Amino acid sequence: METYLEAEGLTKYFDGVAAVEDVSFVIRRKEIFGLLGPNGAGKTTTIRMLSTVLAPDAGDVCVGGHSVIREGDEVRKRIGICPQELALYPELSAVDNLVFFGRMAGLSGHEAKARARAVLVGVGLEARGSEVVKKYSGGMQRRVNIGIALMNRPELLFLDEPTVGIDPQSRNHIFETVLALRAEGTTVLYTTHYMEEADRLCDRIGVMDRGRIVAVGTPAELKRQVGDPDRTTLEEVFLHLTGRSLRD
Amino acid sequence: MVRSFHLARFELRRYLAHRSDLAFGIALPVVLFSLMVVALGSDAKFRGVMHVADLDGGSLANQVLERVENADGVTVRRYTQDELADALERTAVSTGFVIPPGFSASVESGAPASIVVKSRGSGGDEGRFVTGIVQGALRAAASEIELRRVAGVLAGDPANDARLDEAVRQALAGARTRPPVTVVTESMRLREASQLDRLLAGIVVMFLLFSGTLGARALIEERRTGTLERLMTTRLSAGELFAGKLLAGIGRVVLQSFVLLGLAFAVLGTAGPVVFLQCLVLAIVVAAAVTSIGLVIAAVARTEEQAAFSAVVLTMFMSVFGGTFLPTSGTGWLDVLARFTLNKYATDAFVGLFGEAATLADQSAELVILGAVAILGLAAARMMFRVSSSAV
Ligand SMILES: Nc1ncnc2c1ncn2[C@@H]1O[C@H](COP(=O)(O)OP(=O)(O)O)[C@@H](O)[C@H]1O
Ligand SMILES: [Mg+2]
Repeated sequence: METYLEAEGLTKYFDGVAAVEDVSFVIRRKEIFGLLGPNGAGKTTTIRMLSTVLAPDAGDVCVGGHSVIREGDEVRKRIGICPQELALYPELSAVDNLVFFGRMAGLSGHEAKARARAVLVGVGLEARGSEVVKKYSGGMQRRVNIGIALMNRPELLFLDEPTVGIDPQSRNHIFETVLALRAEGTTVLYTTHYMEEADRLCDRIGVMDRGRIVAVGTPAELKRQVGDPDRTTLEEVFLHLTGRSLRD
Repeated sequence: MVRSFHLARFELRRYLAHRSDLAFGIALPVVLFSLMVVALGSDAKFRGVMHVADLDGGSLANQVLERVENADGVTVRRYTQDELADALERTAVSTGFVIPPGFSASVESGAPASIVVKSRGSGGDEGRFVTGIVQGALRAAASEIELRRVAGVLAGDPANDARLDEAVRQALAGARTRPPVTVVTESMRLREASQLDRLLAGIVVMFLLFSGTLGARALIEERRTGTLERLMTTRLSAGELFAGKLLAGIGRVVLQSFVLLGLAFAVLGTAGPVVFLQCLVLAIVVAAAVTSIGLVIAAVARTEEQAAFSAVVLTMFMSVFGGTFLPTSGTGWLDVLARFTLNKYATDAFVGLFGEAATLADQSAELVILGAVAILGLAAARMMFRVSSSAV
């Protein structure tokens, strides 16, 4: 399997404290790669470095053959980012948000409008696209947040805890969207602190704790380190690796 | 760079969708200005004092002053020549009249003579009103002189109709080419536009400053919610993002000044389209200056509350000390303080344009200062501009 992203020795300090330390891993083309770890593990900081927003203090990342440090614009052409918090304009409609970010991603006005319609169908909001986002439920707002990341048809999609605090219906919708994207050939990096989610969705998982990656493998490979893969949970894997519980 | 324009256009759409911003930036100043016009009293326009130094004291001078005194709404206050000059100098008086020595004798002997009007700037509404009354009184006195001369001719030789005709014809022709009394206006072209002109300019500038600096809140909100950082993961560069926000800010303030000045010009009949266009050019420079101050606030403040507080305090401080409500033509520490406000230069320049019929070229000193504020502010903001709330 072809490697799409390769992170090498990524390190970031905030006020002298390491938030991410010497993190290395690869993501293969067309897989869903999970970063699983408790709050504060360094998942978001890692994504910010992978997506050219935050310059690493050490290390580099290669995305689709381009360095995030030296070829930021080439990397940005290929990625879509759905941040952990809603990053959109709630006083505008979903369509307006999508078209705006599409244009900033380099689409023409015409392309952006066509793409926005397709994305709304993809996230299941085609009927309510012209309503202002602040009138939506939390789950629907999150789906718009994901939709924005899809506007430029990214080869690699970052989803940072996309299911935190939403209703089961929206959560299932998001799972379906992610699986459909993989089927279309999109590579996905998915962070979460819900182990069942990682178990169900991800092809491979990097377990993260206190700024470091402590293990990488398929869910089955990780569980085999502890016991019978069919009767072990990722929760037990995390406890085994770190001596702590994954739950906050 | 094209993306900066898209970004700015999008921002302007958001601004127009934001009703409370529009109400604050456009409706509030209109209401405030209207209230102040009412409070200042519009009857001031139809009342006035003729400040006069009568150096002649002759019968014609007395006759003119008597007529003025009898006119509705005008009283006569007498000065010595020095007192009047001093009052004009202190701007205690905006329009003064001097009746030169020998005025009455000169007119009675048939030679032309003038009353001199000394005004600061346009002289204001009161000055214009009183000057009109004085001119009317002079015209009436002049007709009387002519009448008396004709009557004198009649009395001298009542039988000679031909001579009478000739005398009347000559007198009327003479009066046409050489009116026996005239008003000569000596404008001192000093800053003393009408109080309303100054108030209008001051309030417009104050609200442009409010809008420009309060724009910082939106930028900090975007930093907090992460849309700025998200924009940095598109193809937009940090420079384009900054340029787009700057353009949007300038566009917003220019739009606001277009509406406010347009209303003022249309409703008050302040001045014509050429002056309006010059005001808009000035508004662009002012917009650049206030927007760059807003960007500096956005770069320095950490929270939206801090930004709003800084914007309001700065605007109020600069408005009060920059002469929005009171002219700053004194000396002393208040005048020195005024020099550190943007409002002083912006207000002076606007008043110059629509209150004193000056042109943009006359305001070059103010334009240079406002432009310098814009450029320095921008350089500082660009250096400190952060996309994320954390140190990147
Ligand atoms: N901008 C920042 N400034 C200072 N510390 C930060 C900043 N962002 C993250 N951190 C710290 O870095 C650590 C990792 O945070 P984060 O990457 O957000 O973790 P996660 O996404 O796994 O919850 C935490 O201890 C957090 O407090
Ligand atoms: Mg996080």
